[in-house]
Parts: sequence; structure tokens; C-alpha cells
Amino acid sequence: MKKPKAIILRGTATNCDIETFNSFKYVGAEPELVHINQLLAGGRKVMDYDLMAFPGGFSYGDDISAGKIYAVKMARLAGDFEKFVKGRRPVIGICNGFQILVKTGLLPENRGNAQVSTLYTNDCGHFIAKWARLKVNKRSPCIFTKGLPDEIDLPIAHGEGKFIVEDRRELAAITAGNLHALTYAENPNGSMLDIAGICSPAGTCFGLMPHPERNFFAWQNPDRPAAAREAEAAGYQFFKNAVDYVR
Amino acid sequence: MKDLSNFNSLTPKELEAMDRAAGWSLSALELAEAQRQFRRMGRQPARGELETIAQTWSEHCKHKTFSGPVLYRDGKRTKKYKNLFKETIVKATRTLNKKWCLSVFTDNAGIVEFGKSGKWGLAFKAETHNHPCAVEPYGGAETGVGGVIRDILGVGLGAKPVLNTDTFCFGRLDRKYRLPKNALGPERIMRGVVEGVRDYGNRIGIPTAAGGLYFDDGYLLNPLVYVGCAGLIPVDKIEKRVVPGDLIVSIGGRTGRDGIHGATFSSANIDEETTSSAVQIGHAVNEKKALDVLMRARDLGLYNAVTDCGAGGFSSAIGELGSETGARVRLEKALLKDTRIEPWEIWVSESQERMILSVPKAKLKRLAAILDAENCEYCVLGEFPGDGRLLVTHGRESVVDLPMAFLHGGVPNFEKPAVRRAVAINSKAPAAPKDWGKALEALLAHPNVCSRHSVITQYDHEVQGGTVGKPLQGRYGDGPGDAAVIWPQAATLDLADFSGFAVGHGFAPAVGRVDPYQMALHSVDEAVRNLLCAGADVSRTAILDNFCAASPRDPLVMGDLVQAAEGCLAASLAYGAPFISGKDSFYNQSRDADGKEYPIPLSLLISATAPVEDVRRAITINFKEAGNPVYLAGVSLRGLGGSVYNEITDTGNNAVAALGLKAAVKLYAAIARAMRAGCVAAAHDVSQGGLAVTLAEMAFSGGLGARLDLSAAARERGLTAVELLFGESPARLALEVVKGREKEFLGFVKGLPAAEIGHVKEEPELSVSDGGSRLFSADIARLKACWRKELI
Repeated sequence: MKKPKAIILRGTATNCDIETFNSFKYVGAEPELVHINQLLAGGRKVMDYDLMAFPGGFSYGDDISAGKIYAVKMARLAGDFEKFVKGRRPVIGICNGFQILVKTGLLPENRGNAQVSTLYTNDCGHFIAKWARLKVNKRSPCIFTKGLPDEIDLPIAHGEGKFIVEDRRELAAITAGNLHALTYAENPNGSMLDIAGICSPAGTCFGLMPHPERNFFAWQNPDRPAAAREAEAAGYQFFKNAVDYVR
Repeated sequence: MKDLSNFNSLTPKELEAMDRAAGWSLSALELAEAQRQFRRMGRQPARGELETIAQTWSEHCKHKTFSGPVLYRDGKRTKKYKNLFKETIVKATRTLNKKWCLSVFTDNAGIVEFGKSGKWGLAFKAETHNHPCAVEPYGGAETGVGGVIRDILGVGLGAKPVLNTDTFCFGRLDRKYRLPKNALGPERIMRGVVEGVRDYGNRIGIPTAAGGLYFDDGYLLNPLVYVGCAGLIPVDKIEKRVVPGDLIVSIGGRTGRDGIHGATFSSANIDEETTSSAVQIGHAVNEKKALDVLMRARDLGLYNAVTDCGAGGFSSAIGELGSETGARVRLEKALLKDTRIEPWEIWVSESQERMILSVPKAKLKRLAAILDAENCEYCVLGEFPGDGRLLVTHGRESVVDLPMAFLHGGVPNFEKPAVRRAVAINSKAPAAPKDWGKALEALLAHPNVCSRHSVITQYDHEVQGGTVGKPLQGRYGDGPGDAAVIWPQAATLDLADFSGFAVGHGFAPAVGRVDPYQMALHSVDEAVRNLLCAGADVSRTAILDNFCAASPRDPLVMGDLVQAAEGCLAASLAYGAPFISGKDSFYNQSRDADGKEYPIPLSLLISATAPVEDVRRAITINFKEAGNPVYLAGVSLRGLGGSVYNEITDTGNNAVAALGLKAAVKLYAAIARAMRAGCVAAAHDVSQGGLAVTLAEMAFSGGLGARLDLSAAARERGLTAVELLFGESPARLALEVVKGREKEFLGFVKGLPAAEIGHVKEEPELSVSDGGSRLFSADIARLKACWRKELI
């Protein structure tokens, strides 16, 4: 079977690109690390790929606000990205990647691709890195979270993860469509409705603050070797689902 | 600055005055040596030349104290060292002569073999950034982290950083002393340092996953900030050689007026006139760009050598790379962040995030393409000519024109006196506490024992997806791990290779106040034991020494140093653990307005690394299953010297247990075999706070209780229950053995001090007795609550 081609987008200070690359490779995709400059220079085209990932990190130092500069750089190629998303090719934005998807207006999906929400500084006022228990919304159309148990553990590592939406109607649209695919069991950052991740109504474009690539294998769990009975852990499913969907 | 046209005829007094005005931190004797050299050349020096000499000859770059001659006196006995460092630390490594050491002491970091594939080396290095953090904690910590990462980027042809470590020493937050006017409070310093490490380490995408925090009023005015970094390097990229004709290319950050005289400032006592202008300004994103460029360019073979701009800036980096070929530098080509800068300032500025590459002319174009693609700035500063001459110009102005041999061969050194400190030892039996449970609670809440989660969770300790042994581990992800275990998948790109490595530390300055020799032994032992508890192969341990001391002009400080260095030699040889790199920092001493001196205690941080054959089988500290037997390995010795218990209740007993090196090595080898066989479910070392703290941590990290009776535990004759429970004698660890595998386990430890002391229980209660007498019984939730304090 042909391997789906995954574009792993990076830029200055994209830090989780290699482990995201490794994760896609493990589930049978053919990943490629592509710098946003390569897209802007025309050396690579997004529509040549089947899957897209925005990894975590501190793109451009998170200056101005997290993910903002990367989102601005993408603006010139907005048409390509919109086509990719509208064509229902899977897109996952993890942590900084989620912040980028929100700052570009690709999530929450809306008509004008306007930014209708933000990921703001955590209520505690600083960066936090710890493991969080997450509830999986079984009614969500999200293709990435299919087949997961009701609750999973993933690490979070962010300074700006508080999901807020200004317009109540936008928030209502999220809950009505079950677009909030993941919520925190214990809210670590002050997100509205404990939201940890949201998807597009089609379920193919997904952004989340926790890091599935860091609980990909059982031995990455802090409770070990109790958790090491099987090789793959909850995070594996996210990547596997994306590849299965394309196939 | 006085004019230099009559430098060669200045008197020693005038030279000293000039040194103070210029901030070089050179002695009059060293300046006289410079004078002699210039007289021989028949000319006066230029400012840039004296600046270069001050940088190159600084304590920071040349380690004059540690690698100088010392006359040590202990009562009537004297011992002469020609080079203290070579006769202790280096001697251990040379004697052991391990074939898995790929590079020691010569490069920016030490390198050992990594993994089974034979393709990789592991580079490891720790640095200190104490003086900058005392005056500007946030900036000092940031640039400390940035600096040690650049050591890893600049080792061989560049290693990929996969782990950051940090160990800090601060004054007690509940200090009783009034601080002098010029000093920052320990809360302010701690907050600044933690935020600096956080903001730099997180942005650059390297996990900060090992280290420690230590509070003692000896560090009130002089905090210590140890920063370390480990990285992976292909074994065929370890050799570097500048080829005459290569271009000198600077990549990364621009040059500015920040960090002028950082190298020389680190040899000055901090006083009321110290300003923060000697501290550099960090910018993590620039360093990340340089990292991304280097890893790509290295694999394409686009340069012949690389090193980082650290202390002394261009002058040190280019001087080092060109020490054989010479260097021709045109400073007007440098990219600047400040236009009001003197040529000599460009030459010695310690602006951050700069790496110097030696690039063949034919490859510059391809390198430039990568630099541009990653938005990384660069400039071509000149070339390495091959004539051994250092010629630095700015336009038509000559800044430096000296033979390299003068700079690197000419450093004069002078013998320092060292005297053993007299410490009265009291080894009377300590009194038992009224309430054992309350004493344990107080120990758990002590700042040197309590939970570090409020600091650890501010660092991204899991970026790169390879932190298998975590700083916070166990059933609830909040127990205190002994060592970090790293699976460097982001460097090897090989998910089928489960090779990893562990990093642990040993640090015991309180023991050093009583006995610096034993401090060194205890510290190496603690570091090795931490690695063992994570399931590492400790027979392949490599260690780093990081000494911090007060002024070496004090013979007692030198006496402490000599004893600790001798301890390092003995421990290294016994454990078969070579030193592969190290660092020393002196003059950690401050003076207040009344002229009162505040020296730090001699502080030796031992950082250790050892391979973990299969990361999936790495071991954690928490109790795993009710019914499993608990063992105590090692002999408990008398003495409460240097213990946390003595800080809570001054028992008057300050005796320090003497570590039996041979017995410890034998015991660890046996336990390592038991671990490989899969007999051990959990392991935790006995360190600060003693055995009771160790057991409490294992219990509450696993959410399980235990019923224990210590009567079978091996012990020195006359040992009291206080010393058994709260003493910190070395070479002990608690083990949870898998039920049904006891016989096998006992086979491994036959004839060695390892005794069953009870079982893990489902009921959340830790009860401990010794023979007939029950010592305490405590609810583990209560113990955890005492321990889980918010430090920041």
C-alpha cells in the first residue's frame, strides 16, 4: 500500500518536529520536515501531501503571542491551506501548532477564516509542564480521537493554553457540534469549558494543547513499568487514526 | 584608561592601579610578565592586546588555581603539587584508561560511547554561572544555559543537545541574617534564576530534566548556578581540524556591548560597585537557529571545525581554533547590535549565541544557503592563514598583532599555599527525638528535602519525547526521581533502538564543612547510586567535577580544595568512573559595606552519566505492588555530621561516616545484576533526610504503605536508632523486590549487606519499628502533605 505523505511544518524554534516526524513514520506515513520558508519560496507545495502536522515548540520565540508570527507568515499561502483543510485532508496542530491554527483562523472553523478565539496566558501566569487527565468526547466528529477510551493521560507543556472565545455563539457552535474532542478532567490553565482540543465540523482539522507524541509508547509514562505492558500508549492512536483515515 | 605608550616602564603599583581601572583581574606579577614580553618585542602593547591577554590568561579560561602548583600542609606533613588538577582529576582518568572514553578534557565537553550501534557518542558538560546570577539572576541564568548548550554544539563538529541539567544553591528563604545593601534576597535570586532557565531552556526545545536545589545560608550572597548539557554526536564527527586557508565564519547572534569582561569579572569579589553590565543578554531563538543550521551543515560536511563564543568572545574562540594556524581577523566585518562600540570591545565582547566555524572557501556558498533558509545571520570575519600569527584589525587600525605562542604558552603561574582546616569532631550518641513521626514530618518539609514540583513543572522536561526516567515519577507523576533516563529518539531517529543513558548528581557541601575528603567520596557515591536506582549500568559511569570555592588566596580554602581533589581521585579509581570534563569557579565570596567577607563553603557537584541498555526497563522509585518484600542494601554507619536532621535538631554530633569504597562497588555490581534479571521493582537511594525519608517517598509516590522492621538491617556497632533512621551515611539504598523472585535476588546479593525489612502494604500507612520498639506509624497522605511544599 502507498504510504501517505505527511508534511511536518517547521520554522524557527519549532521544537517538537522530530518526535512528531518519528511518530508519523512509526504509524506508516512518509513524513517530511518542511520549513515555512520552503513553502514561501515555492520549493514545496502543501497540496502535494496527504496529511499535515503543526508540531509544538516556540515558533519565532512566541513573540507578540504564541504562534502569531508563524500564522502571519502563512497568510500569503492562506488559499493553499484553506484548500487543504476544505478538502478534508487531516491536519493536526499540537500545542504551538494548535496556537498557530487558532491564530490563522483555521480553528474554530468559520466562514471568513477570521480569528474568533485565542489561547491566552495560563491562569497561573507561567509555563507549566505536567501530565493531565483528559476526557474524550465520544460524540465528537474528530477523526484523531476515534477508538480512544473515555479517559486518557497526556502531558501538557505550555504557557499560553487558556482557550477563550469572545462570542458566546461561537462557543455554542463548538458544544453543539461536539467539536470539543478533548477536555481536561482538572482544568490546568483556565480554559473555557475545560477545553483541551477542538476540531473542525468535518473532524479532520484538529488542534490540541496536550502532546500525544509524548505518550506514544508506554515507557514514556511516569507510572512505569506498570504502564509498560503494551508497547503503544494513548498518543499512538491519534497518529494511527490519521493514517487510517487517508488510506 | 591611561595611555599605554609607557606601559613597559610602569611600576607594579601603577600596573595594579591600571588593572583595577580596566577590570582585567590580572595580578601585578602577571602584568609584569606581559611587560617583559613586550619589552622583548621592543614595543608597547595596544589596548586590544592587553585585553586579549587578560581574557586568555583569566582564571575562567586557564584555570590557574586548579592547574597550578600548590604546597599543601596538614600539621607537620606537607605535599607539593606541580599541577593539582593533573595530579588528581586527570590522573584518575589516565589511570583508568577506559576505551569507551572517546574524548576527555581536550574539547568543550567530554565524550563517551553511546548505545549498541557503535555510531554514537554522548557528550556531557556542566558549567557554572555564579557571578552573573548574583547580580542579574534572570539574565545570568539564561546565558548560563545558553553557554553550556553551546559547549555541546561546539564539541567535535557539533553534538545535538538532548538534556539540560541544573543545580542551584541559594540562601535559606527563611534566613535570619540581614542582607547587606548591595545584595539581592534569595527569593528574588531563586525566582530570577528559575525563570531564566525556564524561558531559555523551553524556547530552545531541550528538556531540563535533572538537577537539584540546595539551600544554605553560605550561599546568601553568592548563589551557585550549575548548568549542564548532554548531547549526541556521530563518532565520525568528533575530530575537528582547522585547515590553513579556511574562512572564519561567525553564525548566530550579533555582537554588542553586553558582557564585556565577563571572563575577568568572574575572578573578582562581588562588592557594592559591581554592576550588571558584565552580564550578557540572552536570546534563545538565535541559538535555536544556530543549532538547526549546525546539525544540517555538520551532516553535509560543510565545515572543518567549530567552537562556541563563550568567555572572552571572539578573542577566545578564534584564538583557540587558530592556536596552531594563527588567525587574520577583520573586525569591521562583524555584524553588530550596537554601533557605539570600540574595536577591542568587538574582539572581547561576550554577546551570546555566536558560534565560530572554520569553513573551506569552496563550501561557503552551500553553508550560506542553509543559513539563509533557517534565517540565521552570519558574517565572514577573516581566515586562518597558517603562519601562527594573530592579526586583528578594524579598518586600518591594528587591534592585536601577536604570535599565538605568546598567548597560549606564556601564562605565568605561582605556587599557592594550602592548609588543612582543623575541625573538632564530636561523635557522642545523639539523643532520640520525643516523637519519631513528628521528626520525619519536619525532615520531609525541610527545604533541602521537600518536593521540587513547583520548579520542575515550569521546565519543559519532556520535549523531544525521550524523557523516560522523569524528575517527577510514580503512580501520580509527582514522586522524586533519582536520575533522569533519556531515550534520545530525536537525535538517533531510530525507534527500534532502545539504548538510553541516565544522568544523576551528588552534592554534599554540609559534609565538606567537616571533612572535604569524605565530601568528595560521598558525592561520587551518591551520583553513582542515583544512576543505579534508575537501572543504569554503573560499571560504565563517567563523571564531571564542578568545584565552586571562595577565594584561593585563603590557604584554608586551598586546603579544602586539595582534600576534595584527593577524594575525587580515590573515588574515581574505586568506582572505575573516569572524569571526562569539569569546571571550577573561584572567588565565590562577597564583601559588605563594613568589609565583612562572606565566603561560600567548598561546593563540589558531581554529575554522572551511565548507559541504560534498554530504556523500557529503567527503574523508578515508587512502590509498585502490595506484598512485595522491601530490602535495605548497605551498612548504616554512625555519625550525623552534615545531615539535615542536625539542622532541625542540633544533636552536637558532627561525625561524618567514612565511605567504604570497595564494599560499595561490590554491592552495586550485585544489585545491578539483580536489576538486569528483573528482580527489582523499585529502588531509591538513602540521601538527604536519611532512610525514613527514602521509605516515605517510595510509599507516597506509589500510593502504597509498608510495614517495616529494621532489626535485620546491617549496621555499625553502637549505631543509635536516630542514626539509622535519619543519618545520611552513604552507600545505602532501599529496594522493592518482586514477589516470588526473592530467592533469585538473594542469590545475587549473597554474602553482601542486603536485608529484608518488611513488605509493601495496600493500607496507606508506613509503620517502622526496630527490633521490639515501634518507632513510628504514619499515614502516607499526611507525610506527602508535609513534603509537597510550594517553593516558588
